[in-house]
Amino acid sequence: MKILKNILIVGFVALIAVSCEIEDATNLNGPTTDSVSEDLSRAELRQTMAGVLADMRVQLATQTDGQAVAGREYWRFQSSDPRWTADLLTGTLDDNTFYTTNPYAARYATVKDINLILEGLENSTAGFSAEEIAATRGFANTIKAHELLMVLNQQFQNGIRVDVNDPDNLGPFVSYEEGLTAVFEMLTTASADLANAGSEFPFVIPSGFDGIEGASGVPDIPEDAIVSPADFLTFTNALMARVEAYRGNYASVITLLSNSFMDMSGDLRTGAYFTFSLTGADIANPLFFALNSTVANARIAHPSFIVDAEANDNRLSKVVFREVLNDATGMVEANPLTSDNLTGTHDVFIYDSNVASVPILRNEELILLLAEANHITNPTAAVAAIDIIRTAAGLPAYSGGTTPADLVTEILNQRRYSLYAEGGHRWIDLRRFDRLSDLEPLDRGGDATFDRFPTPANENRN
Amino acid sequence: MKKQTQINKGLLLFLFFFPIILFAQETITGKVINEGTGEGIPFINIVEEGTNNGTATDIDGNFSLTVNSLPVKLKVFAIGFAEKSVSVEIAGSITIQVAESTESLEEVVITGLATSVKRSNAANAVSSVSAEDLAGLTPPQTLDGALAGKFAGALITKSSGAPGGGISVKLRGVTSINGNSQPLYIVDGVYVNNNSISGAGLNAVSGAAGGGNASNQDNPSNRIADINPDDIESVEILKGASAAAIYGARAAAGVIIITTKKGKAGQTKISFSQDAGFNTIIRPRGQRNFTEDRIFDIFFSPDPDDPVAEQNSRDAANAQVALFTDARNNGRLVDFEDEIYGEEGFITNTSVNVSGGSDNTLFYAAFSNNEEDGIVQNTGYNRKSIRFNINHDFLDKRAKLSLTSNYIDSRSNRGFFNNDNTGTTIGVALTSTLPYADLFPDANGNYPDNPFGSSNPLQTRDLITNREDVNRFIVGSALDVKLYEAEKSNLKAVIRGGVDYYQLITTAIFPEQLQFQKPSNGGLNGLSALGTTENKDANYSLFLVHNYTTDNDLNFRTQAGVTKQTFFRNTVRNITSDLIAAQSNLDQGANVSVTQFRQEQEDQGFFVQEELNYQDKIIGTLGIRGDKSSNNGDANKFFYYPKASAAVNIHSFDFWKIPVVNQFKVRAAYGEAGNFAPNGALFTAYTNSLIDGNVGIVVPATLGDPTISPEKQKELEVGFDASFLDSRIGLEFSYYNKSVDDLILQANIEPSSGFTSRFANAGNLANRGVEIAINANIIQNDNFDWNTNVLFFTNTSEITKLEVAPFNLGGFGAGLGTFRIEEGKSATQIVGTNADGDLVVLGNSEPDFQITWSNNVRYKDFTLSFLWHWKQGGDNINLTNLLTDFGGTSPDYDDVDLDPAGTTPNGPFRIGAFRAGNATPFVEDASYLRLREVGLYYNLPSKIRKQVFGNYVSNLKIGFSGNNLINVFDYNSYDPEVSNFGSNGLSTGVEVTPFPSSKRYLFHLAVDF
Repeated sequence: MKILKNILIVGFVALIAVSCEIEDATNLNGPTTDSVSEDLSRAELRQTMAGVLADMRVQLATQTDGQAVAGREYWRFQSSDPRWTADLLTGTLDDNTFYTTNPYAARYATVKDINLILEGLENSTAGFSAEEIAATRGFANTIKAHELLMVLNQQFQNGIRVDVNDPDNLGPFVSYEEGLTAVFEMLTTASADLANAGSEFPFVIPSGFDGIEGASGVPDIPEDAIVSPADFLTFTNALMARVEAYRGNYASVITLLSNSFMDMSGDLRTGAYFTFSLTGADIANPLFFALNSTVANARIAHPSFIVDAEANDNRLSKVVFREVLNDATGMVEANPLTSDNLTGTHDVFIYDSNVASVPILRNEELILLLAEANHITNPTAAVAAIDIIRTAAGLPAYSGGTTPADLVTEILNQRRYSLYAEGGHRWIDLRRFDRLSDLEPLDRGGDATFDRFPTPANENRN
Repeated sequence: MKKQTQINKGLLLFLFFFPIILFAQETITGKVINEGTGEGIPFINIVEEGTNNGTATDIDGNFSLTVNSLPVKLKVFAIGFAEKSVSVEIAGSITIQVAESTESLEEVVITGLATSVKRSNAANAVSSVSAEDLAGLTPPQTLDGALAGKFAGALITKSSGAPGGGISVKLRGVTSINGNSQPLYIVDGVYVNNNSISGAGLNAVSGAAGGGNASNQDNPSNRIADINPDDIESVEILKGASAAAIYGARAAAGVIIITTKKGKAGQTKISFSQDAGFNTIIRPRGQRNFTEDRIFDIFFSPDPDDPVAEQNSRDAANAQVALFTDARNNGRLVDFEDEIYGEEGFITNTSVNVSGGSDNTLFYAAFSNNEEDGIVQNTGYNRKSIRFNINHDFLDKRAKLSLTSNYIDSRSNRGFFNNDNTGTTIGVALTSTLPYADLFPDANGNYPDNPFGSSNPLQTRDLITNREDVNRFIVGSALDVKLYEAEKSNLKAVIRGGVDYYQLITTAIFPEQLQFQKPSNGGLNGLSALGTTENKDANYSLFLVHNYTTDNDLNFRTQAGVTKQTFFRNTVRNITSDLIAAQSNLDQGANVSVTQFRQEQEDQGFFVQEELNYQDKIIGTLGIRGDKSSNNGDANKFFYYPKASAAVNIHSFDFWKIPVVNQFKVRAAYGEAGNFAPNGALFTAYTNSLIDGNVGIVVPATLGDPTISPEKQKELEVGFDASFLDSRIGLEFSYYNKSVDDLILQANIEPSSGFTSRFANAGNLANRGVEIAINANIIQNDNFDWNTNVLFFTNTSEITKLEVAPFNLGGFGAGLGTFRIEEGKSATQIVGTNADGDLVVLGNSEPDFQITWSNNVRYKDFTLSFLWHWKQGGDNINLTNLLTDFGGTSPDYDDVDLDPAGTTPNGPFRIGAFRAGNATPFVEDASYLRLREVGLYYNLPSKIRKQVFGNYVSNLKIGFSGNNLINVFDYNSYDPEVSNFGSNGLSTGVEVTPFPSSKRYLFHLAVDF
């Protein structure tokens, strides 16, 4: 009897508990990725694409600094993280620390942003037109190729993964050469899409791309200052030219450059840029430090940049002599900065504020790519391109030898000064021509060069 | 066990309310008086031993009891008084004196949701901490801090010396890697929130999360700090699933059940107490002994390849030497450590409480104000707490209503410490500041820039604000109704509800004149941040409890109930930078950013439990709890947590013939409990970004798992309790083995997936340990008592299964020492690369064992109590030294005791190890022996008291006490008890320039009216 009653009570209680349904939780703090990948709306396309462009800038400083330090463009001092002046100068790299893992992960995060858009585009019920779809695919694949190229630049012969759509089933690592090929093919597909993409993107292209507005020569319809798919195609072609140069396909470089935004008589700074602001969730330019920064955080020009420069090269203004007013004497004195047995006299100062734009790809590099593409087959054209750069830098016309070897030396030198501190070009360029030994003599006993960053430990690559 | 103690609580109440009138043969009348005051005591239970015959005293302490025959033995007892047995030979009037006692009646422990069990019948080693143990020795700053060393099986670590909390409590080892590892706190039936919520804006300045570890490292306080320890009557600690299974899905990290004080019937009592004192740094690290040569070496970098550069460097170094020499010769060298950490923080605690009650209503009202300044200027903690508890009986005392309410207003100024990536925290700035730096403000209050770092620590200390303000209400109510009552059975219902609501405001202000805020130094020109968190947790429950006793004294107690909890949190953080001169309002600046975090959760559960008690000889319990939650992948799927336990009081059986051992109980308990996935683990949610004014959404770093299920802990505890020599000596031994299945890991994922980590149920963890408690009343006579208590406990953890690749967490990488989750290894192992570049185990944060020794010595009116705590083993990752090495300021920079070759001084040795990626020197033994608490009190004897104060004062006590007065450790920094990453999670024991901890000296006065 008692037991029966107990059972009744238990049953009653259990019934109450079971009968109250709880609603499945939804995420209160932001949209979830499946809402995009399962059905991309027009608003989501705008926002995810803005996200892609914003995400491209994440860890930009770590990537640029890592490569620039490797290429002895400058030293990065950070009192709270001395690995900048240890590992990156001794060449003993850690496969599980920030300089290896952070840029790598950030670039693939952008790739993931893009893959979700591409997947959502397939599943979209928002009624995108064929042109809009082509425009979106063309733009997205160009950016994706850029991000993969950034990873390849660091990983070099380690190779990279290209197929990364399914987190549970990632594609294999492909070699450096296969990686470049994959990037090239991605850009080829993108340019085909962009050619059939109508006159407008169904999303906002940020002002960092304003420099290529009108570069296609095709008048915008309607006539306004919006970067059209045709304009953007000139960027895609320019990026393809860079990839082809890396692959040594110089004939292809020349063709691509002619369809890019390259302008032999234009402003060398014209091109595509990352923009920054201090507003809300935007980020500040991470490559800006004030002059006379302390060891807490500084970018100090490698002394060789000043020593090796030709006289009157106005590109030396990219570094600024550190000086300070001595209150006691009233004299302005030199203010060199020392850390870890490295002493430098000049700050790197290519950005004048924490909202200055950072170039992605600009005219000056394209002209130098043209010089490089011609340096074997057409030395005259190569020298002509070189002289555009030299003249702009306040230097006399090129008077050296015109053998391919001579021209390579000159082109590498011009690239060193023209693209200084912009994207770690020097390290990549010396590596391409197997001339990393040019970096010697190194600064300290025990220092060494390296030609690639390790594959992050968490890739579990065995 | 003697038979009379078997009268259970329900029956006592029955007796209390419905005196049974039998046919009278002899009548005993009398009065029960308080031994201390001589006053009559109302509502004391008087029961004829061996029978159900009993009564209770009236309001004046008088009673009358009729018994069948004489002589009889009367048992006299009530909550708050020592139980007494009185022989009565003849009828008539007697006077019975009873003494007040904190260990009144027979101690019961709350183990069920609606019921409690006598300690002597408990199947678990449930630890209890009384009011006297908690706050009686010396007033604790926070409740959780006051628990340290007072019960077995816990590792309690203070994360920061900043006043106002930030404490990690781990019961029986690590119970979760990425989920919650802090116990559930329940105060008077209300689930009390213990979140640590990071303030707004600090990371925007420190950049701490941007480097090697994505934690803000800003050490917020944890919210249990709001509970005033003075209001607490007792604390019970359910250390693992075997005891806490009935609490289900939130109980895996243990449950801490807190009962606050209640009034006592009788005369209204007013108690007043005042403490005053100060705190001071436990151990400064000290200063390097600087000489001209050493200053020169800091600045000179030889460069044989470039004689010009070398000469420049030599000139610069010589200029610094000249500055040093000049400062030294003019007595201007400053000990900046002492300048910053050398304050004596003033402490004052005031508390007043009024308690009392009538026959059917009891009340307790308390107000307290605690203020404590830190050892750094402009830091400190202030808590004001008001409590009102009321209990009321009605419906002929068949119904009991209780209401507890608490309002807290607390403010904590926490300074700016710990790791950063910008050289701005006070701790990091000090690492490179040399003693001849000119940092003091001029007459106009202008601070010079620090030439040796990016911030002037004196300026930072004086000008910044980092404050937490809390306004909090905790209200709980319970209704207990007897629905049915008969001779052998009864049924009662308990309805309970509670709400914990608080608003937490975090304010961070970094004015524009700070060195690192000046635009000329790359600063933001001032930053003001305001974070507002609104948190509301509510819980409701309904229980039915049925008692049934068979003719042969077999008692069945059946309980069943349903529970519901809701959780709501909304945090809005605003940061404004580029401030309009000297303004701090959020609209007074150029750049405003806002982030918001919301959390809503609903849990529902039910439970059923059956207890069997055979004559207090064999006690068995079976139960099951089912829980579902919106935080699980499937919100309506129940997860079940069963339990089973048995205790056998062997000494109660007739065959027991060992008089010296008066109690011997063996016990075993098994139970399961859960732990929810961290909030958001279900989802892969985009985060916000912005470019060129276009809002964008980007993938997060962590991939969610929509199918995630709670962690499941299974614990088996076995042990025995024995008492010797009439309970003068007690021994408790427990062994436990608890495993956690379906461990929720935020494991690494291949970064090419676009994510850096993912949530998954992907491993198992086990903790095994031993706990031994020995208690002895060594001396017990009228003038002299000495009670001593020794606890020994140890725990060993192991990752028994790991379905993902081993991963590091909670440090700064293998080159500096990091925790590493690896199958077959301890969950708390610390690994790092050694001198040969191999990844090896360098330590373990888990102590080898802990021993605490507490003593209470009373001689006449003097009481001396002290608590020693010895933690043996357990390692820390200490990176403070490395940072001071970089700045050339380590006190031991020039000593030679780390280099195995005995040649390189410690500073260069550690820097060299760092460069070589060798983490060995950074992992240090964090053993300590400390006199945690000591108190000496004098109670004014009643004779003197009456002469001086007449009858107005019923008790007067004065005394001195202290915390951490003696500390013995080899650890090379302020205190081995430290945590850069705050209180939750695995990785306590990492040190990066923390707020140093302090010792406290206090004077007390307590008066009862």
